[in-house]
Amino acid sequence: MAAEYDVGLVCSHAGGLPPRTRPFRVSYQDVMAEVLGHVLGLAERAVRAGVEPARIVIDPAHDFGKNSWHSLEITRRLGEMTATGWPVLLSASHKDFIGETLGAGIEDRLSGSLAVTAVAAWLGARIFRAHNVTETRQALDVVAALRGDLFPTRAVRGLA
Amino acid sequence: MIVRAAVCPSPPLLARDLTGRVDVLPEMREACARAVSRLLAASPEVVVITGAGPATASWDPDGRLDLSRYAPALRTHGKPGLPLSLGLGAMLLDMVGHAGPRRLQAVGEGAPASECVQLGASLAGIAPRVALLAVGDGSARRSSAAPGHLDSRAAAFDASVERALHDGDMAALVSLDRELARDLLATGRAAWQVLAGALANGDAPDVPRGGATVPVGEILYADAPFGVGYLVAVLEPERIS
Repeated sequence: MAAEYDVGLVCSHAGGLPPRTRPFRVSYQDVMAEVLGHVLGLAERAVRAGVEPARIVIDPAHDFGKNSWHSLEITRRLGEMTATGWPVLLSASHKDFIGETLGAGIEDRLSGSLAVTAVAAWLGARIFRAHNVTETRQALDVVAALRGDLFPTRAVRGLA
Repeated sequence: MIVRAAVCPSPPLLARDLTGRVDVLPEMREACARAVSRLLAASPEVVVITGAGPATASWDPDGRLDLSRYAPALRTHGKPGLPLSLGLGAMLLDMVGHAGPRRLQAVGEGAPASECVQLGASLAGIAPRVALLAVGDGSARRSSAAPGHLDSRAAAFDASVERALHDGDMAALVSLDRELARDLLATGRAAWQVLAGALANGDAPDVPRGGATVPVGEILYADAPFGVGYLVAVLEPERIS
């Protein structure tokens, strides 16, 4: 269908759970290997089915089929996904693994979300789903400047 | 002899690349470009750039400012050790497309007035038609947010320099107090005194005699938006006899 209508395709490691259900005692020998194997398999299948490669992104899908330890691990090792060359989508904002990490309720996850966003951007993630657009954009601009991909807006300090 | 002279400031932010995505003080950079263009319009055989450095020394005329010292991310490397004033002067000449001969002459930042004047007189004599660009700043203590915080003497000091340049009063530049200039973090003092020595012809035996001249100045920019006194001026040596 994606090939027929020329739409973008997100290849996610959704964990194989039915909608509105939660992971139940999931475990992995190596969660990142499992995620990589799954999303790369989806991407290759899509290419074979005729989807233009430029329309494909891969997504580790934080929280999906994962406990918080798993989601932290795939964030820590996100560089293994970006190294594949496929654009990586990060959809971690406000998620439960951030709440569990901080012991924070759903309304109190902005700082944690920005921290995850910044680390993922540093490791090469390219697309971000966000609740707090302005704050996320600012965090990403700072990471881009840290990486040297974006110059400061206006530098005067020490230069007068 | 000097056919025309100019004064420009030397903040790193004069280099467009250093301020990031937003241009800062474009009007000051444009004033500098106008001043330097006026130098070239006088058809000099050589343009001499002078400005403060750790010691009085002549630098390789191909030297360019090492921007990476100020912004490592730019990876724009230049001549290691080239004084900021000379590097910015060279940048201004490049900006207006000067491809002719140039000389980069540092003057020791602590050099006494007599030494500066003597240097200026000898620079005036290196060719029949010399244009001089003196690069340096007024006090960096013009406001409480200034790099050196506020010094109540700073505004009057900078105003006296502006007046001297406007009136072509070279004696006033020569008499600028070295200790006061140092206290006020006015990096331009030595370069202005070189300019005074270059324009006040007749004092040095190696300056061609062509009748007495008195410089006439025009101020193109004078402000201290970041607490540092910036001056842009052009000086014409006008023959009076």
